[in-house]
Amino acid sequence: MKMKGTKNSNKYLILGLLALWGINFIFLTYGFSQTTSSQEKIEQSLAQTKPEKIIPSPQNIKESTAIYVFVGWMWASIFILIYFLKLKIKESDRLFKLKFFSENK
Amino acid sequence: MNKKKLWISLGGWFEERLGFQAVVDFLRKKKVPQNKHTIWTYTGSAVLLFFVIQVVTGIMLAFYYKPTLEEANKSVARIMTEIPLGWVIRSIHFWSSSFMIAVVFVHLLSIWVIKSYRKPRELTWMTGVFLLILTLAFGFTGYLLPWDDLSLSATKVGTDIPRSIPIIGVWLTKFLRGGEDVTGDTLTRFFSFHVCLLPLGLLFIIGIHVYLIQKLGMSLPLGADVEKERAKELPFWPNFVYREMIVWLIFLGILVSVAVFFPPSLGKVADLMAPAPEGIKPEWYFLFLFQTLKIFPAKILFMSGDTLAVFLILVEGILFFFLPLFDNKPAELKGRVITALAYLFIIYAVVMTVWSLIQ
Repeated sequence: MKMKGTKNSNKYLILGLLALWGINFIFLTYGFSQTTSSQEKIEQSLAQTKPEKIIPSPQNIKESTAIYVFVGWMWASIFILIYFLKLKIKESDRLFKLKFFSENK
Repeated sequence: MNKKKLWISLGGWFEERLGFQAVVDFLRKKKVPQNKHTIWTYTGSAVLLFFVIQVVTGIMLAFYYKPTLEEANKSVARIMTEIPLGWVIRSIHFWSSSFMIAVVFVHLLSIWVIKSYRKPRELTWMTGVFLLILTLAFGFTGYLLPWDDLSLSATKVGTDIPRSIPIIGVWLTKFLRGGEDVTGDTLTRFFSFHVCLLPLGLLFIIGIHVYLIQKLGMSLPLGADVEKERAKELPFWPNFVYREMIVWLIFLGILVSVAVFFPPSLGKVADLMAPAPEGIKPEWYFLFLFQTLKIFPAKILFMSGDTLAVFLILVEGILFFFLPLFDNKPAELKGRVITALAYLFIIYAVVMTVWSLIQ
């Protein structure tokens, strides 16, 4: 009974992490569907500056912070997910050896 | 009704209509060999991962990209400077294409070395070579889309190469360019190839490739004891999928990190009248071919050097495609010459790429 509870909590933790990661990514990319200024304004500013080469980078401190926090958090999530996946691999290999899903067990 | 019962009844409702359990049962019965070559099977699913990323980020970029002579460069500049996180999405798209091509190369070369293409997997190999060609075509057509000076010049050089092919060469160059020269028509044509024709072609070939893998199963090492190998096999679901998920997560992490810290830049808008800038080079995956063309002298006997080089590359490509028909020994027999050729090709490609980079 206790084992089942632990297994379930692991499952929920993985699902929770995946969901959080997804939500975070959606929030980060949400702005992608929003234009910050009108087309005219952008064209004017591009015409004024006409750069030789555009080197991309975060547009402001908010975006810069968000992106680096996301990268850090992404790696933390990846390591945690890998840890749980390793546990799942161990468990599924054990069940396979026990022929848990086999039709002729 | 409590929450658990609600989920069960909802699951049952969908199961009754979609019959997912049959798929799960099939995947549970499907077995994956576990041996010294298993690591290479992960590269196959990594290709799919990068393809999905390409599709998602490509759709996002298409929201803002305009494939016209006047707007192409401006719209990419807008994506990079005005659209929140646009530069990250473009960077992920850019790097994901490079990663995808690299993984396709690794996957194909590993199959070549371990000779998994032998009977009955000849068609699996051939569809794999098609996938490589289509992936390279994705890279080539996508390179022009930012419409900057470098992409224009590289496309001029790239579309000029088929001209050396006898009989169809001139027609092929005209077809690719949509005329005599690279113009706005080439841009719209490349955009159409990049977002319509190539994805459809790739999906079709991936479908056949995956079907063949399902039907024929994964190969075993040459000369292996089949009984012993069968005993070591693992179910695809969930045992192998969990292992694959680890690989996907690592690739995803590396891709996003590289995309954030090394985003691609955008050059000034292409000028059709301007001379080609000095030192133009294609993307890294074409460098070995580019360098090969460069080392050929202008004239060899009665033939132009370019024609001979393109002819030789074409012949090698055809031999590569039909490799399973030439090396059709029984699966357990090793082919040392084929292995040596594979390593020779890897060394040649690396040397040529490095040579081109340092020049």
